[in-house]
Amino acid sequence: MTALVLTALGVTFVYAVYIATASASAVRQPADFLDGGLSIPAWGYIFGGAGIVVATLGLEDHLLLIANYGLQYSHAALGLVLAALAGTLIHKQLWLTARMTGLRTAGQLLGTYYASAAIRIYVLLVVGLFALPFAASQLAETGALLEQATGGALPAVLTIWGSAFFLGLYAIVGGWRAMVYVVAAQSLTVLVLLIVTTGAAGVTLQGFASASHGISVPAGITSDRLPGVIQFTAGLGKTVPLGGLWTTTQILSFAIALTGITLSPGFALLGVSVKGRTVFAFNQVWMVAGLATGLLVFLGPLIGTELATGSRPALDAITSFANRLAGRDELLGVGFLFALVLSQQIAVAFFVTSGASILTTDFVVRYLQPGLAASGQRTAARITIALLFVAVASLATFAPLPASLLSTLTLSLSAQLLPAYLGLCWLPWISRSGVVTGLVFGLIFVLFSEPPGLIAFEGLFLGLPWGRWPLTIHSAAWGLFFNLGSCLIVSLWTRREPEREQRDRLHGELRAISPAAPGGRATQAAKWSLTLIWAFFALGPGAILGNTLFSQQTFGAVGPSAGLPSLFVWQVAAWFSGILLVWWLAYPGRLGVIEAVPTRRLQLGPIPAGQGSLAPRRPDWITQGLSRLTGRPGKLQ
Amino acid sequence: MDTPDRLDVVDRHALVMAVWIALGAAAAILLHFGLGSGGIWALAAGFACILAAFAGHIVVNTVYRTTFTRSELALGLVVTFASLLWLSLAALFVSGFRDHAFVPLAVGLLTVGACVLFYMITHFGVRVVFDAFNVIGSFRPETAPDQRRSGKGRP
Repeated sequence: MTALVLTALGVTFVYAVYIATASASAVRQPADFLDGGLSIPAWGYIFGGAGIVVATLGLEDHLLLIANYGLQYSHAALGLVLAALAGTLIHKQLWLTARMTGLRTAGQLLGTYYASAAIRIYVLLVVGLFALPFAASQLAETGALLEQATGGALPAVLTIWGSAFFLGLYAIVGGWRAMVYVVAAQSLTVLVLLIVTTGAAGVTLQGFASASHGISVPAGITSDRLPGVIQFTAGLGKTVPLGGLWTTTQILSFAIALTGITLSPGFALLGVSVKGRTVFAFNQVWMVAGLATGLLVFLGPLIGTELATGSRPALDAITSFANRLAGRDELLGVGFLFALVLSQQIAVAFFVTSGASILTTDFVVRYLQPGLAASGQRTAARITIALLFVAVASLATFAPLPASLLSTLTLSLSAQLLPAYLGLCWLPWISRSGVVTGLVFGLIFVLFSEPPGLIAFEGLFLGLPWGRWPLTIHSAAWGLFFNLGSCLIVSLWTRREPEREQRDRLHGELRAISPAAPGGRATQAAKWSLTLIWAFFALGPGAILGNTLFSQQTFGAVGPSAGLPSLFVWQVAAWFSGILLVWWLAYPGRLGVIEAVPTRRLQLGPIPAGQGSLAPRRPDWITQGLSRLTGRPGKLQ
Repeated sequence: MDTPDRLDVVDRHALVMAVWIALGAAAAILLHFGLGSGGIWALAAGFACILAAFAGHIVVNTVYRTTFTRSELALGLVVTFASLLWLSLAALFVSGFRDHAFVPLAVGLLTVGACVLFYMITHFGVRVVFDAFNVIGSFRPETAPDQRRSGKGRP
């Protein structure tokens, strides 16, 4: 198998370097290195976006968790629909704002809109977490996986540094555009290989045994039932939840964490740099909510069945499964391994390259070298990519455990950006003070419900009475609850702060370009009510009905006939209705369709006198006061 | 060729490669599996992947308003003839091949060929497709430029 794995990796790297060279030779503007000239093809976002979502969820971890927890964890795949909904809500407005203002990174947009250096620094923190510990943990997983699969013929260190070298090489040669090309191709390959290898495994091995006798999870775990709505436990590391961790509140809060994928600064940069009018809707509806979620809902339990061994399935379960496949046909085993490795490479390449672009724009050019020329920016970005890849490989080699621990913060902290994005895209009354206060609270609560904060505090000071994810609620939800609460309260008190004028100008332009979706108030209310109802029944407490609804009928004496676990049928129904919901919001609701490209330029933030295409407006209270004095109606600009 | 055109060319090329790499890898796995213990269904699925990649290539051409490039045509012809050659040699010299793999592979190749021909006829028309393969027609003598303009010298 070693020779075939090496060949597959070699072909991938040669392809990546070739595409990067072709892309670099076609691009003439040095500035395009950072953002692809804001003309990334739609297919790059459509395929690449789906692959990035799956890769960030962690394909290998996802399969192993299904082997450990059965269908109760597989339910978490539905959280990708929520991630798609978050993307639907944000990305189009972000794209329009970026085109109007000429800004491109999340740090630039949020920092300039709220006129806040703290928000810029928070975004850089999230970027750093994605680009360093998260990418390093993925690369370390690749090294460990291939080392075990090849029986030590490919040492983990060699795989880690070899992968980092080639991923870095093509990113340095081709920049953002080449990275998107390669990631899109790899994403498509992962999705196809997953279907093929799982189908072949079903035919050749146990014949989709999960449909008949379920997943053999470790003792004490309920494989085909959710273990309650909530469990009042102190959290992982303190108490063990009865029947398994994945209660409905755990699943809903984990889904909130998954919105951190589509809200991440890297994903925002991908969205901003794309061209095409329906690209957001297509990606969110058909690729993320449809294909990616569907594949995980259907194929996850099938592979999980094969990986489940009864004890605690770990990495050896993956390689054992690959070896069993290779026993039937060597290419099948390599294909399965390759799908996992590609998904990890997608995460590494995407988050390191996007991190380098954002760091160059938001840190190097803003703070270190203001006024740096475009060619200088390209050089700075190349140096940043190289440094980041060296750092990622070093972390993966010498400190995989700290990297893995730190990476637990990544998605939760990224999800904390939701109020800031909502303010930028939809709600002008959300103030800078509110966002900053919310981010501080969110950061604290995430930190104290994830291992890095708990370990550091307990090591330095005293033991805490709670562990990771207390009350079976994910850290993202703990953080977002207090983040949103404090943000709303502070915003109510500071909604008339002087910067409000600037924010209103942007929202006025957004409304002019992209008016509210068709339909009256009833339609609008129905959309958001249905979204909440769907979240309640698909992910939240209502999902507990799925445990028995299709297996123990309330009325009549007819028993179950489908032979499938009731929870699985519930998951399929929730997935299908989720697609319909995202489709309704993205297409008829126009949240994912760009109707007009902005033609006016708008300068965000305080405008120096005489600059900017929109003249600075006089505050309303001055206008109204003057109109009372003069007796003439005030003209509001 | 200016910058936007070059970028469009690279965009299209990268997309075509993405489609063929993804579905080509799947086809290779399934055909290999089919030739081993997978049987006829795996072979059929492998050829279905090839047809899906071909259909994807056509969709790409439609989206980018292009047709197959010369190098793509050349590569396609080389792969087709190499496959036919390999199939013939295997049928002649590999023992047992004719019994369990020749017919499914031959049917699969013929199906792919028929689909390609069908696309060419519906897309380019019968006359153009016939001219493309009309080797004898290309043997006619060259005519002088002035005769060509006046229509003289035509057979």
